[in-house]
Amino acid sequence: MFDLLIVAATLLCALQAIRSPRLLMSALWLASASALTALLMYLLGAPEVAVIELSVGAGLVTVLFVFAINIAGEEVTDLRALVPRPLAWLAALGAMGLGAWMAIPGLRAPAGPFPEPAFAAVLWEQRGLDVLLQVVLIIGGVLGVLGLLAEGRVHARKEKQS
Amino acid sequence: MTLSLPALAAAAVLGLLGIGVAGLLVTRNLIKVVVGIQVMTKGGMLAMVLAGYLSGRVQTGAALALTVIVADTIVSVVALAFAVQVRRRFGTLDLQALSTLRR
Amino acid sequence: MPSIETLAILSIAIPWLGALVVWLVRDHRPALQHGLSVAFALAGGVAAVAMIPQRTEANVLGVALGSAFGELTFLPDGLGVFLAVVATVVGSLAVIFSVDYMRGERQLGRYYALVLFFIGAMVGLVLSSNLLLVFVFWEITAFCSYALISFYNDDPKAVAAGIKALIMTQIGGVGLLGGALLLYVYQGTYDVPTFLAHANALPAGVLAVMAFGFLVAAAAKSAQFPFQTWLPDAMEAPTPISALIHAATMVNAGVYLLARFYPAFEGVPNWRLAVIVVGAVTALLAALMAIVSNDLKRVLAHSTVSQLGYMVYAVGSGGIFASQFHLLSHSVFKALLFLAAGAVIHAVGTRDMRQMGGLGKQMPFTRVVFIIGALALAGIPVLNGFWSKELVLEAGLMHAPIWSYVLMLIGAGLTAFYTYRMVTMVFYGEAHGHAHGDAGTAMKIALAPLALGALSTWLLAGPFAKLLSAETLPYHGIEAASTFHILEEVISLPTLIALAVVALGLLAWVFRSKLAGLGRALRGLGWAAENSFGFEAINRGIVRGVSGAAEGLRITQTGLLNWNVVGIVAGLLIVIAILALGA
Repeated sequence: MFDLLIVAATLLCALQAIRSPRLLMSALWLASASALTALLMYLLGAPEVAVIELSVGAGLVTVLFVFAINIAGEEVTDLRALVPRPLAWLAALGAMGLGAWMAIPGLRAPAGPFPEPAFAAVLWEQRGLDVLLQVVLIIGGVLGVLGLLAEGRVHARKEKQS
Repeated sequence: MTLSLPALAAAAVLGLLGIGVAGLLVTRNLIKVVVGIQVMTKGGMLAMVLAGYLSGRVQTGAALALTVIVADTIVSVVALAFAVQVRRRFGTLDLQALSTLRR
Repeated sequence: MPSIETLAILSIAIPWLGALVVWLVRDHRPALQHGLSVAFALAGGVAAVAMIPQRTEANVLGVALGSAFGELTFLPDGLGVFLAVVATVVGSLAVIFSVDYMRGERQLGRYYALVLFFIGAMVGLVLSSNLLLVFVFWEITAFCSYALISFYNDDPKAVAAGIKALIMTQIGGVGLLGGALLLYVYQGTYDVPTFLAHANALPAGVLAVMAFGFLVAAAAKSAQFPFQTWLPDAMEAPTPISALIHAATMVNAGVYLLARFYPAFEGVPNWRLAVIVVGAVTALLAALMAIVSNDLKRVLAHSTVSQLGYMVYAVGSGGIFASQFHLLSHSVFKALLFLAAGAVIHAVGTRDMRQMGGLGKQMPFTRVVFIIGALALAGIPVLNGFWSKELVLEAGLMHAPIWSYVLMLIGAGLTAFYTYRMVTMVFYGEAHGHAHGDAGTAMKIALAPLALGALSTWLLAGPFAKLLSAETLPYHGIEAASTFHILEEVISLPTLIALAVVALGLLAWVFRSKLAGLGRALRGLGWAAENSFGFEAINRGIVRGVSGAAEGLRITQTGLLNWNVVGIVAGLLIVIAILALGA
């Protein structure tokens, strides 16, 4: 029963995040969806990742959104969608339905837990390459952001010279 | 179908993915696009952990989910910086106004 | 003496290294660029020639690349080594010629780098024995050819010609790639010797698809029917490039492909007939187009297409030795003709033959070497073209349908006709133009060995047969014989008939004023030949169709994220539906 409530709440928050007309409310609904997803992950037996998701997804990303929305400013846009809404929901529901049909055979009782080292050991030893790639990604992302946001200064310098 | 935890989690995964995609299809605001991508990634993350749970290797699933979290965070950071720059340069975040590909 | 592996790698690596070095030496030191290019090209030639005594029938140098790509192997057998030597030696001579021809031109670094890159890739193509690697080198040569045709990239004609060449040869490349992938699917390997040994293990339908796919690839690369329109337009390239790529090396790649895979495909029903038809039709059509052309390089281009038709015809008739011998002769005399034509064009400043004439007195050396090349092309006895062309015709007489033999004979007569026309229009008669002196020193250095070659390579028939014999080519069935034995075959009745036809062709030009009535009667044919028998119209129609379709489909590119995501989701739905229903 408890699980059902959590799943329902997650889906509801996600739906509201998409549908909400104001960007700040969207960000807040997204934060709550992240928190509930973290709870689900804890229930599935991965507490470390749940904590990380809580702090990053519900914390860091929300703060980023709030910053971006403040800088970019709220904008009153014409809410008429470019793709007709029924078509969009039909496509989404179609994908979900087919996906469910394919996933059902796999939802047997879980296989017996195989002896595994703790999360930290798995991460650093078995998936070491993944960690390396994550570091590369982070560096790339930082460089990308610096490149994107630094342009303003270069333009200002050019205007001063001309 | 029993309301066991795996079934519910699978429903959550599919639901999140579907809602995220629907969001990408109907939104016109660039920042809402980032929200849609985030929702989809929550679903993906959950799918990794669920796969770990179903095959008995929860920790491996969790390690993969961590990779997804990091990648998704970087994507949202860069996308939001991009949106901010677009707003500064072109003055709007509306997808239709930004599109210059049509004649 | 380095091992065969080292030599095989060196003959590819030295030109490539040269390309890099010449590129890095900036354009403000042209003398150094000229010198380095010549040095690297000659070094590559030495490496290739050194491979001849060490040829082998086993793969050398396997670099394992995992199960998806097989092993990268090279097979320096007789056929491969022969073509590698042709590529590097003629390449070196073309580079030496370029020292004079391209003197004072801009962007020499790009020119020499591309030429050397091409030479290395050509050697790699003929030495590879992994089909996928052959395809990679095939595409590299196509790219170099495109880049060099469009070398004068501020001339829209040159750019258009380059793109046309690229598109047409790429269509052929699809045939090669398809064949390679089919081989992998059915035999699990890309290895060429394995394929040749077990060709009959493939299902008949698959082998037929591979055979015709390779035929399409070879026809496109060697400018055969129906792909023959790109080569005359490619004459916008600088003349040394026309000599190297479009006469002596790249266009030989198609004939090489057919010759190498002939043992595998000869059993496919109608394949040999298709090859014979392609060769014969091309030879005749191109000869007709050469007769009505007034641009010196275009005549030579049509002539190249026609002679390649002879080689393809020989392969179709089963005369592999004859086709390769003609390839050797043709490379020598056609490179000679192109380079000599380059000297003429460089001196006069135009390619139009109607503005030349009487140049014999002003350019004596060039006249002599050009006439030697022309005699070889027409098939006059003693020169190498005569021996090889007669061998081709004999192979055709014995194994090909008689109507195709008659067509080839007519083609030989037409060849003599247009060759004599070309020589008289340029070097004899009234002077309509003025030449600024004879060929330069570097040009003479390049032309002289080729002229000597045209006079003498036929003497190598015996060693050549040994090169291609079963020592290293176990599946081709070519017997080694002495020179005298081979040449003795040529002295026979069919040869006399062919000589008579050639003489008829020469006399027809001499007495052309008396034959004016015949000329008027054939004017319709002449008009068709000038319009390339409708093939250019076909090309234009295809281009129009593709542009129209692209404009029509433009509506699907909305540029809106939402519609793009609709496309993604629709694709996903289709994939999931297929998986769900197929499971």
